[in-house]
Amino acid sequence: MRSTLMQQFVSVALNSLLAAGLYATMAYGLAVIYGVMRIINLAHAGVMMLGAYVTYALFTRFAIDPFLGLVIVAPLFFLFGVLLYKLFGRRMAAPGNAPSIESLLLLFGVWLVLQNTAYVIWTGDTQSILTSYTLKSMEIAGVRVGLPSVFVFLASVASLVFLNVLLKRTYLGKAIRAVTQNRDAALLSGVNADRISAIAFGIGTAFAGIAGAMLSSLMAFTPDFGRSFLLKSFCIIVLGGMESVTGVAAGALVLAILENGLAAYTSVPTSLQDAVSFALLFVALVVLPRGLPGLLAVFERRRAAQ
Amino acid sequence: MKFVRYAFCLASALFVLSAPFFLERGTLNDLWNLALAVTLASAWNILGGFAGQVSLGYSAFLGIGAYTTALLSLRGVDPFLTLPLAAVLAALFSVAIGLPAFRLRGPYFTIATIGVGEAVRVCAASVSFTGGSSGLRMPAGSFDFNHNYFSMMILAILTIALAAYVKKSAFGRALAAIRQDIDAAEALGINSTRFKLAAHALSAAVVAVAGSLYAINFQYIAPGSVFDFQLSLNIVLMPIIGGVGTLVGPVLGALIVSTLQIKLLSMPMLRDSFLFIYGGLLIFLMLFEPKGVMGIRDRVIAFFRRIARPRTGSADAA
Amino acid sequence: MHRARPWQVILLAGFAIAMTVGSALAADDEIRVGAVLPLTGKESKIGGAYKLATEYAVKEINDAGGIDVHGKKLKINLTLLDDTSDAAKSAQLTEQLIVQQKVHAVIGGYGSQLVQAESVVPERYGVPYISGGAGASAIYGRSKWVFGTLSPVENLAQTQMDFLTDLVNAGKLKAPLKISLVRENTEHGRDFAKGVEEFVKTHPKMYSIVLNESFELYAPDFKPLLGRVQQAKGDIFMCDAHLEDYIAMQRTYTQMGLYHQMVTYGARGADEAGRKALGAATDYIFASGWWSDLLPYPQVKAFNTKWKAANGTMPQWYHACAYETVRALAAAIHKAGSLNPEAIRSAIATIELKDSILPGGVLKFSKTGEAVLPFVVTQNKPDGKLDLVWPKADKTGPPVAPIPH
Repeated sequence: MRSTLMQQFVSVALNSLLAAGLYATMAYGLAVIYGVMRIINLAHAGVMMLGAYVTYALFTRFAIDPFLGLVIVAPLFFLFGVLLYKLFGRRMAAPGNAPSIESLLLLFGVWLVLQNTAYVIWTGDTQSILTSYTLKSMEIAGVRVGLPSVFVFLASVASLVFLNVLLKRTYLGKAIRAVTQNRDAALLSGVNADRISAIAFGIGTAFAGIAGAMLSSLMAFTPDFGRSFLLKSFCIIVLGGMESVTGVAAGALVLAILENGLAAYTSVPTSLQDAVSFALLFVALVVLPRGLPGLLAVFERRRAAQ
Repeated sequence: MKFVRYAFCLASALFVLSAPFFLERGTLNDLWNLALAVTLASAWNILGGFAGQVSLGYSAFLGIGAYTTALLSLRGVDPFLTLPLAAVLAALFSVAIGLPAFRLRGPYFTIATIGVGEAVRVCAASVSFTGGSSGLRMPAGSFDFNHNYFSMMILAILTIALAAYVKKSAFGRALAAIRQDIDAAEALGINSTRFKLAAHALSAAVVAVAGSLYAINFQYIAPGSVFDFQLSLNIVLMPIIGGVGTLVGPVLGALIVSTLQIKLLSMPMLRDSFLFIYGGLLIFLMLFEPKGVMGIRDRVIAFFRRIARPRTGSADAA
Repeated sequence: MHRARPWQVILLAGFAIAMTVGSALAADDEIRVGAVLPLTGKESKIGGAYKLATEYAVKEINDAGGIDVHGKKLKINLTLLDDTSDAAKSAQLTEQLIVQQKVHAVIGGYGSQLVQAESVVPERYGVPYISGGAGASAIYGRSKWVFGTLSPVENLAQTQMDFLTDLVNAGKLKAPLKISLVRENTEHGRDFAKGVEEFVKTHPKMYSIVLNESFELYAPDFKPLLGRVQQAKGDIFMCDAHLEDYIAMQRTYTQMGLYHQMVTYGARGADEAGRKALGAATDYIFASGWWSDLLPYPQVKAFNTKWKAANGTMPQWYHACAYETVRALAAAIHKAGSLNPEAIRSAIATIELKDSILPGGVLKFSKTGEAVLPFVVTQNKPDGKLDLVWPKADKTGPPVAPIPH
C-alpha cells in the first residue's frame, strides 16, 4: 500500500516537473516582453503556432529532427521578433509604466495575419511530426515517461539556463534586467531603450518559437493551435511575477503540480482542470499582486527585520 | 451647432425605429447585429473608456444574460420578463469580481479578467444545469423578429444615451479623473474602487441585457459562442477602432467592425483572406492612428482648417 | 465639441452602400445553393474537407449538364462561406444566404454547435436545409425544414457496443468487462457517452463503467487524465476525441505503456493523419464511422476511383458524407421538378437514394429529418492495413481481440 502511494507521489512529482519545463519556456517569452516593454503580447500564440509549422517544414523537407531544429528555429525567430519590433515597435513601446492597449490590438492583428499565412501555406489540415522516438519511453524512478517529454524538459532547461546566464553575465542582460526592474531609472542612466526593447522582443519571440517547436514534437497542430497555451502562459507569468526566469519557472511548476495533483489525489473532473487554473490565476493576482517572488520578498523582509 | 447634432441623433433614431416599414428583412438583420455591436461597444466603453479599466472578460456578462434568459424561458417565463433579472445577476457578478480585481492595476487587471472569463466558460461547459457544452435552445415559438428588432434598437439607443449622460455627470468626471491619474484622484477624495465598481456594474448590466436579446434572437446559445474569449476581444476591439473614451467612437467602431466582418465573410472571393484583411486593418490602424477613427477625423478636420485659414497655422489642431 | 459634419454624412452614406452590397439579383435559370462551413478556427480541418467534397459534388453535377428540373437542365450556383467556427456568425451567414442571396436550399455546416445555431434559421423563412456534418440528435425533429445525413452519434457508440458484445459472444473477450470511458467536453462527446451508458444500463451483467471523465478540447497534457485511466484498471478503453486530441492522447497512452483489451477513439482511428502521426501506435484500434472506403458496394468502388483521380488521396468518411449530402439534395430537386421550397422539402423528406455510397446503400430520412443508417466498424492492422470488421456481412478481415500484448 505504502509503496503504491510512494509510487504515485513520485509519478506526480516527475510528471509535474516535466510539464513545468515546457510551461516555463512558453511563458518566459511573454514575461520578458512584458518586463521590458509593458505590453501583453497576444501574437505569442501565433508565434508558437508558426514555430510548430517551421519545425514541421524542416522535418519534412530536410529531415531535420525537431530538437536539432531548435538550433535553427531559435535564431530564426529571434530575427523575426526583431523584425516585428522594427516594423511595429514605435507603437508597442508604451510611455511610462502604463500598458498600451493599442499594442494589444496591434499584436492581435499580427496573430490573425500569422494564422492566415499558415492557412495559405499549410491549409487547415492537422499536421504532426513522427520521429523514431516519438512513441518511446524510459523509466525514471519506476515511472514510465515519454522520451519526447524528457527531451522537451532538457531543451527547456538548457534554453532557460542559457538565458539566465545571458541576463546575469552580459551587459545586455543586465540592461534588460535593469529596464524590467525600474524602467525610468534605467533609461535615465543611459540605457538605449529602443535597442533593449528590440532585443527583448527578439528573445520573447524566440522563446515562443522554441515552445512551438517543442510542442510540435508532442502533439498535432493546426493554424488555430496555441490559444489554450496563451491563456496558460498568462496564468504562469502572473503567478511567477513577470520579472525573473526563476519566478516564471516557479509559477510553471506550481501550475503543473496543481494539474497533476488534482488529477491524482482528488476527484475533481478533469474537464474542470482549466477552470481551476484560471481561478488560481485570479486568486494569485488578488492575494499576491506581485506573484510568488513578491511573497518571497515579504518573507525576506521579515527575516531581515528580526 | 448643438442643434444640428441633436437633430442628427434624432433623425438616426427615427430612421432605425421606422426601418421595419420600408427596409427588407436582410438589411434589418444587419441592423440588428449592428445595434448589438453598438450596445456592447458603448457599454464596455463606460468602464474601459471613461474609467480606463481595460477588461477582457466581458463575454462573461453577455453569457450570464443569455443563460438567464434561456434557462428561465425553458421553465415557462416570458423571455422579455427575464431581462431585469439578467441585468441584476450580471451586476452582482461584476461586483463580486470587481471587489478583488480592482485592487489590481493596468495589465494585471486585464489578465485577471481574462482568467475570470475563461473560468466562467469552462464552468458553464462542465456543469449540467446549463446543458454543458451542448448549450441551450430557446423554447419553440418564442421568436418574433419585430419584437426583437425594436427591443435591440431601443437598448442600443438607451445605451448611447446612458453613456452620454454618464460622461457629462459628476460620476463621469470622477471616472475621467481615475483614468488620468488614479493616485491624484484618490488624493482628491475620490473613492476609486467604489466608482470603478459602479461603472463595472452599470456596463455589465447593459451587456447582460444585450446577452438576453442575443439568446432571444439567435434562439440557440452554447458556452463556445456566448462565453468565448474571441467575443471578449471583439467587444474591446470596437471602441478602440472607433476611438476609446469618446461617445461617437464606440458607435463608429461597432459599425465598422460588424459590417466589415459580416461583409468580408459573405464574399466568397475574399473568404480565404478574411484574417489577412481583418488583421492587416488592425495593424494599420494601430500603427498609424491609435486613437482610432476619431483620431483620423480630428486629423482631417485639422487639415481642412489649415487649408481654410492658412494663417492661423497649427494653433487649431483639434 | 463634435458636431454633425459632412464626414458623418459621408460615412453613413458609405455604410448604407456597404449594406446593400451582396444582395444579388435573383434569376431563376440556376439553382442557388448556399453553404456555411468552418474553414478557419477550431473545426477548420474537417470543415475544409467538407468544402472540398461539396465543391467536387457540385462540379460533377454541373459538368454533367446540371439537374433536370421539369425538363429543363439547371446548373447549381454554390455560394460557400466561412463562419470561422463561430456559432453566431454561422447563424448570421445562413440567414444572409437565405435573405440576400435568395438561395433555394442551404447545405449545413460541420460541428454540432455550429449546425445547432444554423438550424433555427430555415424554419423562419421556409427554406430546405440539409446538413452533412452533425450527428447530435438534439438538432433534428424540431423543424420540418431541417435534414441531416449523419446518423446520430449515440448510435455510433451503440454500434461499438454491439461489436464488443459480438466479440464476447464469439468467446474472444470474457464478460464481465470494465469500461474506462473518456470523452471530449462537447456535444459530440456527450452523445457518445450517453450511447455507451445506455447500452451498459441494459446489459449490467456484461459491462460496467469504472471511469467516466471528460476533458477540454486541445488539452496540452494528457498525463493527468491518463493517470486516472491507469488507476481505474478497466478492460476496455473507450474515448471520443477530435483528431488533435486523439493523436496527443494516444501518444501519451503508448509512452505510459497502458494496455486495454480493446481500444477505441470513437470515429477516430482510421484517419490517415492519425496514422501518419502515430505509426504503429494505431495498430488494433477499432473505430466506428459513418463510412469506409472498404465498403464492398460497386458504387463505393467507383466513387473511390474517381475521387482518387481528382484529388490524389483516398476519400475519408467526411468526404463521402458531404458528397452524398449534395447528391441527396440534387436528387430531391430533380424529384420535386421545381424550385419551390416546399416542393424541394417534401421531396427530401420522401426521397430514397438507392445507389447511395453510405452504409446500407440506401439514403433516406426519418420522420425527424435525420438519416438513420448503419455504422461501420474498422480495425487498424499492422503495417498500415485497415479492415472492415462490421457489419459482419461486409467484413474484409477478422477482428483481432483482445489486442495482442
